[in-house]
Amino acid sequence: MRDLLTWFSDPARRRPLFRFLVAAQVLYVLGVAGAGYATSALGQSVILTTTPIDPRDLLYGDFVRLRYTISEAPMALWRDAASAPSRRQAVFVLLAPGPDSVSTAVGVYPKAPKAGPNQAVLRGWVTNVYRKSFALRFNLERYYVPEGSGLRLEKAGRQRPLKVRVSIAPWGQARIAKVEETPKAPKPRP
Amino acid sequence: MSRKFLETDGPAWVAEGLITEEQRQKLLARYPHQAQALGLLPLLGSVLVGLSALSVVAANWQALPDVLRLALMLGSLTGAYAAGAYFLRRGNPDLGHGLIGLGLILFGASIILTSQIYQLVGYDVSGLVAWVVAGVALSYVYGSRLLVLLTVLIGAAVQTYCVQALGSFSYATALMVAGGMGYYWWRRPDAVSSTVLATGLLWQAGLLIAVLHAKITWFFVPAMAIYAAGDWQPHRVGGRSLQVPPLVAAYLFMFGLATFGETDTYANVLRPPLLPYLGALGAVLALSVAGKRARGRFDTLLDWLLLLPGFYLPGGLPLAVATLVVLYAHAGSVLVRAHRQEDPNQLTIGAILFVAATMVAYFKLTWAFLDKSLFFLLGGVLLLGLSWYLRRRNAQVLAASATPERPSPPAESTSNP
Repeated sequence: MRDLLTWFSDPARRRPLFRFLVAAQVLYVLGVAGAGYATSALGQSVILTTTPIDPRDLLYGDFVRLRYTISEAPMALWRDAASAPSRRQAVFVLLAPGPDSVSTAVGVYPKAPKAGPNQAVLRGWVTNVYRKSFALRFNLERYYVPEGSGLRLEKAGRQRPLKVRVSIAPWGQARIAKVEETPKAPKPRP
Repeated sequence: MSRKFLETDGPAWVAEGLITEEQRQKLLARYPHQAQALGLLPLLGSVLVGLSALSVVAANWQALPDVLRLALMLGSLTGAYAAGAYFLRRGNPDLGHGLIGLGLILFGASIILTSQIYQLVGYDVSGLVAWVVAGVALSYVYGSRLLVLLTVLIGAAVQTYCVQALGSFSYATALMVAGGMGYYWWRRPDAVSSTVLATGLLWQAGLLIAVLHAKITWFFVPAMAIYAAGDWQPHRVGGRSLQVPPLVAAYLFMFGLATFGETDTYANVLRPPLLPYLGALGAVLALSVAGKRARGRFDTLLDWLLLLPGFYLPGGLPLAVATLVVLYAHAGSVLVRAHRQEDPNQLTIGAILFVAATMVAYFKLTWAFLDKSLFFLLGGVLLLGLSWYLRRRNAQVLAASATPERPSPPAESTSNP
């Protein structure tokens, strides 16, 4: 092999290489779809609630921006005595369902914790650190909506929290399975 | 020679007796009408049909079942690729490469749409990096300029998305474009692709500086690293084409400094820590000089004048005058090089640069008229002297080497202003 480019563009190799590339692309798209399907089929389902946010920001093109109640965690939930959370750090949020089946954060760990029965672990990233709390993102902040229903969700999300059903795959990937409007104003939780 | 030119000027040649009517007909026959317009019609027609199909699908996209959506995407993806390969085999490279490029675009669209169906998109960029990888691989296999441009564009788009939507820089994307397409450029330094590649990389470098919240002057370290790569390129034109975008960026910056440098308001945004900045830029300069030395291109060394870190000077008159002097010196260096190489295009560029510097000096500097007058007198005398010296030298060189194979000197109309 004299040089990479001549190797690639050799006419004898062109056809098999091209077929390989096309097949790889098709498989890749199928893989993305498969990962999405498997996450909901094999994953653990948790319910999270959103906090109402600035309505101008909520509907953004063909997706709705979501902000979760667990997106901001008080510093008391940080479970690492050695060091404080830092920006861009990857963390693991231990979730436990409450009496209304909505999950809340019981701890934020720098390393994956062992989940008890009923509990789930959600991957997140620290986006900001304040004095008494820190902000997280989960890659679940966008929900692509079927055409037309975005406005309805926006209206509902402005007045009441939305209920978001999230599937967490055993390998850590998470995706939104469903976004529901809460039927009536929820009781304030402690 | 274009047929149109022959058609318009031919009769005059016949009238002047340069060629006979018979010869004119022969010449015309040599450049037949191109059937381009005719070939374009079916292409336009199929584009319209395609757009109509696309609209039908887009209007009903949300209502279609997932499997059908997936099948539609993969079908059009493989269809575009297969059609591209077919037309390449038929000996129609333009259409073939165009369709393969369409397939590449459809691959990206498929990744994005599939992620949307399954609510996976948002912050995950690994999917989009695969898009860049596919572009690089296809460019390698087909060596088509269109695919190279498309890949550089896709890299810039993915990076912009990462920075804008996610607030993070995708180093994988940057490495893929710089390494993958950089290697391609190294082996096949085509002029247009080189400039496009450099522009795409500069765009990514700018995004990196924005994400890091670094002083904007750090931008010139990666920018000049691209420039230095051009110095090492064995193929002179390809190397020079890669150097144009970084040079334009450096010139615009220096020009802005000359225009707005009189006030010190920008100083805090511009001044990085002195030693690290000069160290990094110096290292790149050393690399560039070594390249120029290895390839014997010391004539372009004065490009680096534009990188003089004048912004460390206190704002106000010292900075304004220093940047003006640099602008004049740079314009002068371009003029000298143009004269030496007898390159009329370079000469025009040099003249434009010179006029631009003069305009800044005239309109921006709040000097007393006497100062201005002295400054311009000095500049004018310098330029006249330079012009006299260069003409003298040219004449000497021509007289010394009056050999027949030397091309005749260009008309005196290319003398500098």
